Amino acid sequence: MTAAPHAVLSSITRKAAATAVISALLLAACAVAVPGRVWSNLLLAAYYLITVGTGAAVFLALTNVCGAGWNAAFRRVPEAMTGVLPSAGIVLLAVLAARLPEYAWHHHGEHGPGTFWFKEMWLSPPFFAARAVGIVLLWTVFARTLVRNSQRQDTRPEPSGRPVNTAVSAVFLAVFAMTISAAGVDWIMALEPMWFSTIWGVYQFSGLITAALAVMIIACIVLRQRGPLRGVFRDDHLHDLGRLLIGFSCFWMYIWFSQYMLIWYSNIPEETAYFIRRTHGPWGPIVLSSIVLNWLVPFFVLLPRSCKRSERVMLKVAVVVLLGRWVDLYVMIFPPVVGDMPVFGIPEAATILCAGSLSVLLFLRAFLSSETVPRNDPYLSESLQYHA
Amino acid sequence: MSHRLLLATFEHEDDLIGATTAARRTGLRIVDVFTPYAVHGLERAMGLRPSRLTWVCFVCGMTGALGMLWFEHWTASISWPVNVGGKPWNSLPSDIPVAFEAAVLLAGFGSVFALFGVSRLFPGKTARTVAPRTTDDRFVLVIDETDAAFDADRVREMLEGFDVVETEERVITDRTWFRQRRLSS
Repeated sequence: MTAAPHAVLSSITRKAAATAVISALLLAACAVAVPGRVWSNLLLAAYYLITVGTGAAVFLALTNVCGAGWNAAFRRVPEAMTGVLPSAGIVLLAVLAARLPEYAWHHHGEHGPGTFWFKEMWLSPPFFAARAVGIVLLWTVFARTLVRNSQRQDTRPEPSGRPVNTAVSAVFLAVFAMTISAAGVDWIMALEPMWFSTIWGVYQFSGLITAALAVMIIACIVLRQRGPLRGVFRDDHLHDLGRLLIGFSCFWMYIWFSQYMLIWYSNIPEETAYFIRRTHGPWGPIVLSSIVLNWLVPFFVLLPRSCKRSERVMLKVAVVVLLGRWVDLYVMIFPPVVGDMPVFGIPEAATILCAGSLSVLLFLRAFLSSETVPRNDPYLSESLQYHA
Repeated sequence: MSHRLLLATFEHEDDLIGATTAARRTGLRIVDVFTPYAVHGLERAMGLRPSRLTWVCFVCGMTGALGMLWFEHWTASISWPVNVGGKPWNSLPSDIPVAFEAAVLLAGFGSVFALFGVSRLFPGKTARTVAPRTTDDRFVLVIDETDAAFDADRVREMLEGFDVVETEERVITDRTWFRQRRLSS
């Protein structure tokens, strides 16, 4: 069963491999010329990919604890999306390790302005590094467990995987809720250690799940066009993924605005510093474009039912959302690193191409390593006959 | 004008959807289908056109959002400008939450009342069911017998194929039966 789709997808694999090699060489050249920019690009790419992979695991866990059956037909897609986790996690840890002594908070610790014992303890390099390793390990191990239990059903006919996975999912969701907050605060918010936002964890989650859904939509559509999911992934599944995408896109906007409005309203200098830097000058239009890409476009385009059931429209909207996720992270990460002038050039393009093509390779390898449809899943027939 | 109707009762929703699809394919006129709960896919089997309720919802929501934005702007910066924390008169961020709530409120109420209006529902209305068990565990497909495409033997044979448990003929004079079906061709 795995041989046939392999042939159909091999052209994608070849192109992705070629792109990965060329862009990696380009990126290596950039790393010599502009190491600072390459570092922030790699942080963005690694965080992007690890959150997409973890977002897929969160989707699996959410549907498991809900007892959902509609997604069984294309469940191998989110499962394969978690294949990016160990690699993205390793890159992320390397990126953090490379700059650990230089993270801005390190220099104004030791009773500097705005620090107190908890912050000093929390941002001390050993604890910071231990947390990063722990978070990456937890996400990878939980995602692996969910996928392994599900794929074990392929060889064992009895439906034993689901109850075990439901329990694992419940634990994972609780662990994830805490670790995503810690991860967002550690890896992104700590770039500006004097600034803080208590909604940051929810904000990170909203972007994570929206991007994961967009990747899932693109992967399902491409795999249906190319064969493996033909006759399996139906318009009704696409319709429901579209509903989730428009819903979580609104959720992202809600959380984004909640953070912005409270800071704007209270107008406390230590809080407003973040937005003053990002809404004045050339960063302003980029913040606006992030809102357009992440909310305005998906919201108005996906409102009609026919658009949510259209491959063509959904593919475009999902690409727009993925672009929006990049701009969103760009606005979070780049201002403290590159300053008041936004940059986009060869390092950014090379990183996007390299990370994108590598994740396509990792996804396809994971997808083709198992049955493309969970044929012993007790919910499969329900999913195949599903009406949205 | 009276109508002769055929009421076919089923035990399972799969049979109902199959029979409805078959009836539509053979050109029979489906008057209505009664089910104890919302059966997914039935609207497609019946050939119902997509609901217009979503447009009501959208227009009401936009009216709520834009109307409230204008109202907040008018009250806070035109009619009686109020200085709140030294912010400009026409501060958009402070208007968004109320505009959002107004959009949700109007979209919600608009949809519900539009639904009540279109389906002529009101408090105290007498329930009209073809058979009491459609509120419990039975599914009833109602076919127009007066229709030219109706051939009693063939229809009965088709229904048997979907394990019909009971068929009944009924003459209906109440025209409201036919009023609300927006069947597409």
